[in-house]
Amino acid sequence: MKDLLTPRERFGLLVIDEPQDRVPVFPLITAHAARTAGISVRDYYTDGAAMARSQLVAQESYGIDFISFFSEVGLVAEALGSQFDYPEDDLPLLARPRWASIPDLGHDPNSPAESGHVPRLADPLRDGRLRVYLDAVAYAYEARGDTVPILAYVPAPFTTAQQLVDQEAFLLGLLTEPERVKGLLAYATRSIVRFCRAIVGAGGLPILVDPLASGSVISAEHYREFALPSEAEVIRFLHRYDLDVVLHICGDTRATIGMMAETGADLLSIDRIEMADVVAGAGQACRIIGNYDTSAILLADPPTVEAAVAEMVVAGRKCPRGFVAATGCEVPVETPPENVRAFVRAARQAGRNLDYGRRRN
Amino acid sequence: MSNVEYSDPRPARVGFDEWMELFDRVPDELIERYHYYGNGEAWSKYLFPPQTFAIYGMRHLRRLKFDNSLAALRMWGFVQNETERLFRARQTGRRVIATMGDLGAVPVIVNSFPHCVAFYPDCIWWTPFAMESRVLFDAAAELGVGDATCFSRAALGAFSKHSYFPNPDLVIASTGASCDDYSGVEQLVESLAPDMLWVEEPMRCDARPARPLEQLLVKEYERVVERMEKLTGHSITEDELREGVRRANRVRKLVARLRELSFRDAALAALEMMVVEFGSLHYYSDMDEWTAALEHLLATAEGRAARSERVLPEDALRVVWVTPPADPLFLTYVEDAGARVVGTEYVINQALEMMDESKPPLAAIAESFMAASLIGTSKARAQSVIQQARRYEAEGVIISGILGGSHCAMEGRLIADYVKAELDLPVLEFDVTSPSREVSRQIGTRIDAFLEVLRSRR
Repeated sequence: MKDLLTPRERFGLLVIDEPQDRVPVFPLITAHAARTAGISVRDYYTDGAAMARSQLVAQESYGIDFISFFSEVGLVAEALGSQFDYPEDDLPLLARPRWASIPDLGHDPNSPAESGHVPRLADPLRDGRLRVYLDAVAYAYEARGDTVPILAYVPAPFTTAQQLVDQEAFLLGLLTEPERVKGLLAYATRSIVRFCRAIVGAGGLPILVDPLASGSVISAEHYREFALPSEAEVIRFLHRYDLDVVLHICGDTRATIGMMAETGADLLSIDRIEMADVVAGAGQACRIIGNYDTSAILLADPPTVEAAVAEMVVAGRKCPRGFVAATGCEVPVETPPENVRAFVRAARQAGRNLDYGRRRN
Repeated sequence: MSNVEYSDPRPARVGFDEWMELFDRVPDELIERYHYYGNGEAWSKYLFPPQTFAIYGMRHLRRLKFDNSLAALRMWGFVQNETERLFRARQTGRRVIATMGDLGAVPVIVNSFPHCVAFYPDCIWWTPFAMESRVLFDAAAELGVGDATCFSRAALGAFSKHSYFPNPDLVIASTGASCDDYSGVEQLVESLAPDMLWVEEPMRCDARPARPLEQLLVKEYERVVERMEKLTGHSITEDELREGVRRANRVRKLVARLRELSFRDAALAALEMMVVEFGSLHYYSDMDEWTAALEHLLATAEGRAARSERVLPEDALRVVWVTPPADPLFLTYVEDAGARVVGTEYVINQALEMMDESKPPLAAIAESFMAASLIGTSKARAQSVIQQARRYEAEGVIISGILGGSHCAMEGRLIADYVKAELDLPVLEFDVTSPSREVSRQIGTRIDAFLEVLRSRR
């Protein structure tokens, strides 16, 4: 059935608390787009035009409601000096973090860079592969920005910090050197804000992604102390532009779902958590994006995917501020396209709003 | 009110990226200060830069040039979030009334009723250009109105989608001596908006006395009042209508002064002035906040004039612009090429004319509407152009037609002939074509050549 609204029109209604013609459909297609376009994964994350073209192909061929750029969570850390390997047909791998131990960058996020104690911030036009994202956003925006929202995942400060320092040292530092961790987070935050600003200038809507702040990695207490404040700072910056901010944290977020809403995020993208818990913890404050199992989309057969997605969409109707039918995390690169199609088909069908457009006077 | 420090840079037209730099300097307190509907909720803030609206699809903003003042930023932010504002109006219990076709009169009545918001779907005609998109035209085409019709057909597409404004509580459609293309659009809207009131617009004609026509209009407006009373359950008083006229006049007075400062002193550029003039139609769905935004803009413009600061060079070529360009990029283009606009005939004279507050309100609205460009002859429009050209010593006239707009095809040449005959000024006519990223080479060359001719006549 042909859609009445474009994805952009649909998203526009969602974020002003208005009903849509159907639920927006958003399997989180990132590097899987390379497969759709028939290019190598490395080409996808090293060439902005290739990344954009892949996403455009995926968006059109699957009929999804967003274009979303992402490769891996080390993006900003790389721009700040961590080293990554680029396998031919796989995602970048952290080869050597910038620091072996947590550096002392001071506590004041606004002064040290100028005082010479802190290394310079990332330049979105020059450092690492940040430019790849900006090129991709600009390309896709020119191509389809009138009809489809263009999103760009930005690793949050907490996740970025873990890619800047030896991961074990970082996690230990949460207990033993909390002030140094906060200094590092402040440093990462400033670069991330810069990058977000550049994405906004290119026409993209940044999505904050903080998978290493998941309950699968850290405790709720550590989330509140370390991850939440820096997420909130980036979100505050984006709210200066009145942008509707998505915070994506995959994994188990049962213990932190309420705190995720405290960041000020407008939409929460969630993974391993029951919808009832999401609604209870954040449903009044945020629209919810979620949360079909990514193992299932990779491994199940299309009828199984279809049935489960339809069930998820029905459960999603309980989200008072609105719901986007999505996967809980990235669609794996090797996911069979017929499974993605099954996801999209089921979400569109189950999510159709038969009352759309009727008078509500 | 103001402990917040922010001072405007020297007046200039700046591009998209430069506005982002300027926005970095805007303190959070200022962003928090401005709200529509007098509401304190976060959603009613509107002081945001072009980047915000570009991200939500307004791609053309990346190519326009904007005034660099805080007042202009406020104006643009306010205007750009009108779609959300209309939905919020409904969410907060206001009645949303679509007024169509008459461009300026009926909203004076509608806004006199408490908790009622009037808006013109007609103004959606800019959206395809702002988004560089055919989405709304395609939607209109599916309902039977294709490219042979004026760009105002975008309104039909918007009605069909229910996503550009909430389903109106009532549609008040004016027709008669009006744009024939748009009357066709209105007829098709009727099937999408079951609650529709038709209002007849009389044709102004030198051979006929005006008084009976005004009386006809008053009768029509009485029907509007009656229908609004039925809708709202509110019996409106003469004093409330009088207050409505007074508030509308306040806006018109502000606009008149801004026109003078811009046409005479180049205090504001053509793009901002087009937005200002069209604000007199329905105040971008919040009359009080629009009035405040205009006062802010006027204070900026007065300050510039007092300091002899101009947003465009003193030696810019002076042109009068006839018919609003559906694609605002034309205004940017012409100004970049060394001209400035010193007069406009945007077919909305009826929304700029002051209403006589000593008269009964409906009679005052009717009398003012009888000045409408829409309902008169091409000669009358030409006279308005000639008058402004004389007043501001214009060196040329630009007539931008609408591809598919049938009255444009007829009128452009006639207006050009009148102007040439009376003033001996060069006139450029062209049709604005479909939404595009840039001014077409062919039209760009014609504009360049035209301005060269004006320059050579100095």
